[in-house]
Amino acid sequence: MKLLKNIAFVFIVYLVAGCSPAKKKVPVVGFIDAFEDATIAQARAGFTDALKKGGYSEADKTVKIEYRNGQGSIPNVIQIANYFIHKPVDLLATCTTLSTLAAVQKTKTIPIFAMVSPTPERMKLIEMNTGAPANLFGAVEDLAYIDTSFLLIPQLLKPKMGKLTVGIVYNDAEPQSADALRQIRALAEKNNINILATPVVTSADAQLVTKSLLDKNIDAFFALPDNVVFASFETIVKSCDEKYVPIFTSEAGLVKRGAVVAFGADMYQWGYQAGEQAVQYLNNNSTKGLQPEMVKVRNRVFNPTVAAKYHIAIPANFKTVK
Amino acid sequence: MEFYLTALIQGLCYCTLALGIYISMKIFNIPDITTDGSYTLGGAVTAVMLMHHQPVYVVLPVVVLAGAAAGALTGLIHTKLKINALLAGILVMTALYSVNLTIMGRSNLPLIGLSSLFTLANISNNPDLNTFWIAFIFILIATLKIDYLLKTDFGLAMRATGNSESMIRALGVNTDRMKIVGLALANALTALSGYLITQYQGFADISMGIGVVIMGLGSVIIAETLINWLRITSVWGSLALVLGGAILFQFVLAFTLSSGVDAIYLKAVTAIFVLLIVGLPRLTRRAA
Repeated sequence: MKLLKNIAFVFIVYLVAGCSPAKKKVPVVGFIDAFEDATIAQARAGFTDALKKGGYSEADKTVKIEYRNGQGSIPNVIQIANYFIHKPVDLLATCTTLSTLAAVQKTKTIPIFAMVSPTPERMKLIEMNTGAPANLFGAVEDLAYIDTSFLLIPQLLKPKMGKLTVGIVYNDAEPQSADALRQIRALAEKNNINILATPVVTSADAQLVTKSLLDKNIDAFFALPDNVVFASFETIVKSCDEKYVPIFTSEAGLVKRGAVVAFGADMYQWGYQAGEQAVQYLNNNSTKGLQPEMVKVRNRVFNPTVAAKYHIAIPANFKTVK
Repeated sequence: MEFYLTALIQGLCYCTLALGIYISMKIFNIPDITTDGSYTLGGAVTAVMLMHHQPVYVVLPVVVLAGAAAGALTGLIHTKLKINALLAGILVMTALYSVNLTIMGRSNLPLIGLSSLFTLANISNNPDLNTFWIAFIFILIATLKIDYLLKTDFGLAMRATGNSESMIRALGVNTDRMKIVGLALANALTALSGYLITQYQGFADISMGIGVVIMGLGSVIIAETLINWLRITSVWGSLALVLGGAILFQFVLAFTLSSGVDAIYLKAVTAIFVLLIVGLPRLTRRAA
């Protein structure tokens, strides 16, 4: 029984000590990440750096950024959103669609600065009477950029024979991936390109699915930047390299990891842009003049090692990936 | 403290899932993996029907039937085709992914500006409290019904199927039918959890069911530990502890989140807390 008492005592001490004082000195940011991923994590770094540049840094004790990660579980993400809302934090920063969605559904008052998320229309968050959620800000993305990034393939690559064939794996559990694929199919039809697409649900299946596509004599591989592709990209690169098939994508981080070229958002800049909005809110203590913005910085980047390997001539307006 | 109220609500929403796992465990002595799919099925049906402006009391029986159909299918595969129960569950769960995606039409459906079960009545002005009372009443009614069912001759035969199938068969009970009906019931309860959670979190997602069987299993095993420790024999007491297990599981997660441990250790710390809880009986016995 003594042990039980000790545990209870420690628990009570913890609870009492854990209560935060009612008086808030520094603004508190609640950062919700949905899952663990190195490429996605760049957005958080960008967001934090933007706050620092705006005069809000944890080192100087001018802001407190509470970070929580749902580790890929929806119940966790919901609890995190609840935790921050009831704390309450001054603003929420949400990274990836799931976090943004959970936050939007749980609060109508705390400003939400989203990053690595699609537009409210794409997330189906537009209400008939009131439009987009009034407390949703940050940097968002629609599908227009997909056209440009996909059309890099016919620009830079000649088909082995006849029609250009492009293989795509996509996570059908992510709305933006399924939407992007629809867009690509329409685009491919106009440009006389053949699309072979296979859904992949977990990163464990990625290798098998990629190899099955590569067996169908594809000219190029297009990687849609979703969480399964992020998680299993090295496998995809390895399989494509064996078959001498170049990978095109729409995210700079994947170029660093072995794709040839990309035109698309830069994760760090994406987070940075959302962070700039958060700074504006913290400075004025008002969301006046703020709204969800389209991602501003889209890069044309290429990986020189991979481009040389596949003998692909890269136009002058592309930058080497850092 | 309000945050813990939301954790309590989330725990309540998972109570029917825990009851479902409890029943399937009683029948098979192994967990029913169909859970991952039938939970999402409940969520998918709820989201689509609410988006088509169906009232929640119409959605409810449809969700129950959909979940029951999924469970019955697992039962049929297991009993008629003599497929291992675990594999039967895995097969149905895998197939349900496509079914759910077809029902939803896309992988994620937010419920924007729609009424839900939790806006049906106005018990309290505080929305969280209101949600809590509605969830509490809902779970209470569901548990009372299950309690009644398990006490009937049918329920007794169903529970006994898990304990000693050969004896029950010798008594003239059709154990195949017991398994099919039992699994249908378990998965109907699981789908109810999907129904509640979808309305509580405000969206349905194709991946919402991933790992949910583990959560239910955790809740049930916590409950089993306490049932054995406290030597509880009544059905009602056991069910109450299963509900307690589901709520406790969410509380542990909430406590871990609010304690501010590094995100990397979230799952490990949650596991350690659960281990402490289920290990307590043994520890106290040693200490006493």
